[in-house]
Amino acid sequence: METEVKEAQGKIISAENPDITAPADWQPVIMGILCNWCSYAGSDLTGTSRIQYPPNIRIIRVPCSSRVDPWFIIKSLQTTADGVLISGCHPGDCHYISGNYYARRRFLVTKKLLNFVGYHENRIQFSWVSAAEGPKFAKVVAKVTEDIKKLGPLHRYKKENF
Amino acid sequence: MARVGVFVCFCGANIAGVVDVPAVVQEAKKIKEVKIAIEYKYVCSDPGQQMIRDAIVQNRLTSVVVAACSPRMHEKTFRKALSDAGMNPYLLEIANIREHSSWVHQKDKKAATEKASDLIRMAVAKSIANEQLHEISVPVTKRALVIGGGIAGIQAALDIADARIPVTLVEKSPSIGGRMAQLDETFPTLDCSQCILTPKMVDVASHPYIELIPYSEVIELQGYVGNYKVKIKKKASYVDFSTCTGCGTCTQKCPVKVPNEFNMNIDKRKAIYTPFPQAVPNKPVIDAEHCTMLLKGKCGICAKFCEKGSINFKMVDEVIEREIGAVVIATGYDLWDPKPYEEYGVGRYKDIITSLEFERMVSASGPTNGVPVRPSDGKVPKNVVFIKCIGSRDEAKGIEYCSKICCMYTAKHAILLHHKVPDSHAYIFYMDIRAAGKGYEEFVKRAQVETAATYLRGRVSKIYKKGDKLMVRGEDAQIGQVVEVEADLVVLATAVIAPKDNPALARLLGVSYDKYGYMSEAHPKLRPVETAKAGIFLAGCTQAPKDIPDTVAQASACAAKVCGLFAGDTMKKDPMISTINNEFCSGCQNCITVCPYQAIVTEEIPLGYGSKEMRTVAKINEGVCQGCGSCVAICRSMAITLAGFTDTQIINEIVAI
Amino acid sequence: MDYSKQIQEIASKLFAENKIDYFVGYKQNSFDDSQVPFLITDPAEIPKLVFTDRSVFNLANYLKPDHTKRKRVGLVVKGCDSRALNLMLTESQVKRENVYIIGICCEGVLNEKGEKAQNCVECVMPDPVVYDEMIGTPTGKREYKVNVDIRELATKALEERADYFESIFENCIRCNACRHSCPLCYCAKCCLDQETSTLYHGANTSSGAMHALMTWSLHLAGRCVDCRNCEKACPSHLPLHLLHKQNESVIYENFQQHLAGMEKDDRGAFYKYSLSDPDDFIL
Ligand SMILES: Cc1cc2nc3c(=O)[nH]c(=O)nc-3n(C[C@H](O)[C@H](O)[C@H](O)COP(=O)(O)OP(=O)(O)OC[C@H]3O[C@@H](n4cnc5c(N)ncnc54)[C@H](O)[C@@H]3O)c2cc1C
Ligand code: SF4
Ligand code: SF4
Ligand code: SF4
Ligand code: SF4
Ligand code: SF4
Repeated sequence: METEVKEAQGKIISAENPDITAPADWQPVIMGILCNWCSYAGSDLTGTSRIQYPPNIRIIRVPCSSRVDPWFIIKSLQTTADGVLISGCHPGDCHYISGNYYARRRFLVTKKLLNFVGYHENRIQFSWVSAAEGPKFAKVVAKVTEDIKKLGPLHRYKKENF
Repeated sequence: MARVGVFVCFCGANIAGVVDVPAVVQEAKKIKEVKIAIEYKYVCSDPGQQMIRDAIVQNRLTSVVVAACSPRMHEKTFRKALSDAGMNPYLLEIANIREHSSWVHQKDKKAATEKASDLIRMAVAKSIANEQLHEISVPVTKRALVIGGGIAGIQAALDIADARIPVTLVEKSPSIGGRMAQLDETFPTLDCSQCILTPKMVDVASHPYIELIPYSEVIELQGYVGNYKVKIKKKASYVDFSTCTGCGTCTQKCPVKVPNEFNMNIDKRKAIYTPFPQAVPNKPVIDAEHCTMLLKGKCGICAKFCEKGSINFKMVDEVIEREIGAVVIATGYDLWDPKPYEEYGVGRYKDIITSLEFERMVSASGPTNGVPVRPSDGKVPKNVVFIKCIGSRDEAKGIEYCSKICCMYTAKHAILLHHKVPDSHAYIFYMDIRAAGKGYEEFVKRAQVETAATYLRGRVSKIYKKGDKLMVRGEDAQIGQVVEVEADLVVLATAVIAPKDNPALARLLGVSYDKYGYMSEAHPKLRPVETAKAGIFLAGCTQAPKDIPDTVAQASACAAKVCGLFAGDTMKKDPMISTINNEFCSGCQNCITVCPYQAIVTEEIPLGYGSKEMRTVAKINEGVCQGCGSCVAICRSMAITLAGFTDTQIINEIVAI
Repeated sequence: MDYSKQIQEIASKLFAENKIDYFVGYKQNSFDDSQVPFLITDPAEIPKLVFTDRSVFNLANYLKPDHTKRKRVGLVVKGCDSRALNLMLTESQVKRENVYIIGICCEGVLNEKGEKAQNCVECVMPDPVVYDEMIGTPTGKREYKVNVDIRELATKALEERADYFESIFENCIRCNACRHSCPLCYCAKCCLDQETSTLYHGANTSSGAMHALMTWSLHLAGRCVDCRNCEKACPSHLPLHLLHKQNESVIYENFQQHLAGMEKDDRGAFYKYSLSDPDDFIL
């Protein structure tokens, strides 16, 4: 199910819909959903450490990655976002003991299903970032932004009037 | 119609140096629901907060958005500002435009400004769906249950009781004291174990705030933090403790002899017995498995001799119920059975004993009157070989972890041997010497110097018999050679393991345990005495192997936790927890499966309005729920709502930009 | 495969011994050779009961909602149906003592074209996993194979798949017949109902249907037993199995070869976890 990215001179081509293009300086919107105890704290640390990362991400705070219902992802992709990043505590470090283990199962299946029906898999990304991993958070956001920039604007299944 | 107030902070230059704050305020004003948007130098300052309070009152705001630093910094501050203005504090949302924007996009002011505006739009959208929430207060029953009467349980019970909180102490065996009662002298100071322990045991028995229930076990726990109900099974002792004076005539007269577990089966006790002379309570119990009267209906000698008529062969087990608010688990440890070490001849050679057997022998009140002897011929040994790490750090035969205390007590044993048999010599086979602790390294040094014990680094490969001696063959890694030591007695420092009942007890209490059977703490570093279940705490070796100082420290920490929990008449809880709309619930009970805190139970409700038929639905106990949201996301029927993070709030955030 | 006689006998016995209040089986359709689900309360109708390779439905669907809480039911199930029933039992939707289960060791049923149905060709468990009485000879569990359509689609380019699914979702009329016909969709209030949620806007657009069907299929991920009752019910003939089989294959491959409803007390792949679950897709 590998899906490659198309590139063209001076323009970005939408991965799912080659008819759609965007100018080279197009900026994607990434919806970031972070758990309160590890990743949100980690992203705060990125800030206090003044580590710079691309400004495309918009962050939503939830208590635990297990609060993330798959339809938050679908909803984001259908409305405002070109990609989604969900981040929680490392396995074994969940503030609520086991939340991220349940979440991990749902994430894998959701990612594969969305890819199956026509989303590039890089539009749906996950990470484990601990409260101490400020630098890692910046790296993850940079990577995800880079990945999604290459994919171009998301046009499939967009809701016209939400 | 929502009326939102937006307050954007400069945070000096921290925000304003990168984000164009006035532009952000202009953007915020464009949002339909925003009634007022103001910028201020430091919103968290007193005048800043005053500004919020005034705006709330003047504009009759329905929710407030502060665009400033992370909610992890000042959420509490601003919530308080809302309350002070007579507004529900949970109508606040924070847009984190410092940590998430100005500080991380310093070189791209335009993008940082746009992002700040978006974050405000999201916070405004979310706040519109915010509901008034109220701190939850849960009543507490101020009585603690301590399970296990070793030094851990004793210390926890005494500390809690000294704070005038009633304690119920449940001990499985006929007496409290635990393993420490079996020890002779204790490292690192060599004070006599009994001398420091028995006064505490007596304190427990006489403390007005402690109810001691010996010879009993917990069989059921229901409820939640502050409000548990426990059922305790008190085993029949066949002796009426209320009349028995503990004179001991019965134990003298009883004709049945049984191996004495307190003395590691080195000598015998009777079928009616007190485990050791200083036992608390100092009353005998009848061992139903061996008493001929109970087994065959014949004998009854003890009853004949008991002047008080305290013996009652018709006594039955009794179930005692108590309402309690917190639990301390202190069930201690067991020792690993070295049988798998066949190459040592364990089981075949009588003169191989375990450390605890050695400990009993050198104990002044022990079965051999404080002198170590060879079990085979009763002679006093001259050459004694101690082997450490028996079962510990041995993935193949035993367990992976280090038992932590063996290095220390083996050094102690070398000293004790030297004291009791001055012309003896100790050989100690070891893998490492782990002596981290106050005075510990010095203690090991002392053992080496004082006793001139021979420390041999290496594993023992074989023990065989030669005449009446045991030949111990091992490797001395320091000289890289095989050595053989002729021993009169071999002492194995067997691994500390979790009590075998721990998993069953953990399940019964609803706490988790690790792969070895030790009770699991909530966080290995920051919450080492709490379990994941609120109101249940861990003390002593039940959580991991440890020595007496660490055990006592943890026990006192438990007491502090219990006292903290009981500090008020009610406990205050964050209202950001989940609730189930039972109209939507289909009763699949999947939420019960995923909740990490057993916060969800079933309840029966009428099938329809006024109906007599019932259906089963799930219900969340607000005293227990920690608000993780696991259940919310797995409930297919969307029957569960997590206050503060509702579906609507999150959707509003997603679509706001 | 014709077990009509045996089923009639069992049904007579159950009514005679007053063990059930009603019986759910199949009846011959009057206008073609297909069959329809048939619920009887009167023993006089027993001779109409049939069971052949035309008995395609999942009758466990007729136990919802809470039927067995009040009535005692006799029910005919094939292998796949019994797995769904197993889940309904685990999820407390059916009272075990109130359902008398006649399990068929299934030889496969036919599709509309008269060929052996695709799910039967790929069936992993034709024997009933829960029953009171079994008909036929058990042949045991079979090897799991990834669905042919999934394998084929996986070879297609992303944009092709996107085109394909967009066109499929376009045809959904949001009638919720799929939800209605699935025995595992018994929720008191379903997330797909507009009034329940803030989820959906613009019902019969491709994006609305995509969101709905995606959420629906994730509610069945690790639970769907591939009976294809939903697909049979869909008036627009959407190939709904694609979504379910896709999830099933991911779950089978990644979560200890999990298959839904095979074991008692298994709630499905999303309600448990293993420490060794795949983690490499997470940064
Ligand atoms: C050979 C040897 C020598 C040692 N020497 C030293 C030393 O010199 N210095 C030192 O600091 N440490 C020493 N230790 C370690 C010391 O024994 C422990 O640190 C200490 O006993 C731990 O106390 P505890 O209360 O956690 O457990 P325990 O002493 O094991 O007490 C547990 C109690 O709980 C009871 N119990 C168990 N299960 C239940 C149940 N389900 N319900 C009710 N009650 C239950 C038991 O009957 C017991 O009374 C030594 C250990 C050994 C093996
Ligand atoms: S998961 Fe939802 S439907 Fe199932 S029991 Fe819990 S609240 Fe009810
Ligand atoms: S929110 Fe978490 S803690 Fe609360 S009931 Fe649900 S799963 Fe349990
Ligand atoms: S689609 Fe989901 S919510 Fe609706 S009935 Fe099925 S499982 Fe329940
Ligand atoms: S989703 Fe369809 S195929 Fe799966 S169990 Fe339900 S009805 Fe059967
Ligand atoms: S039955 Fe078919 S048309 Fe109806 S909602 Fe389901 S997929 Fe859509």
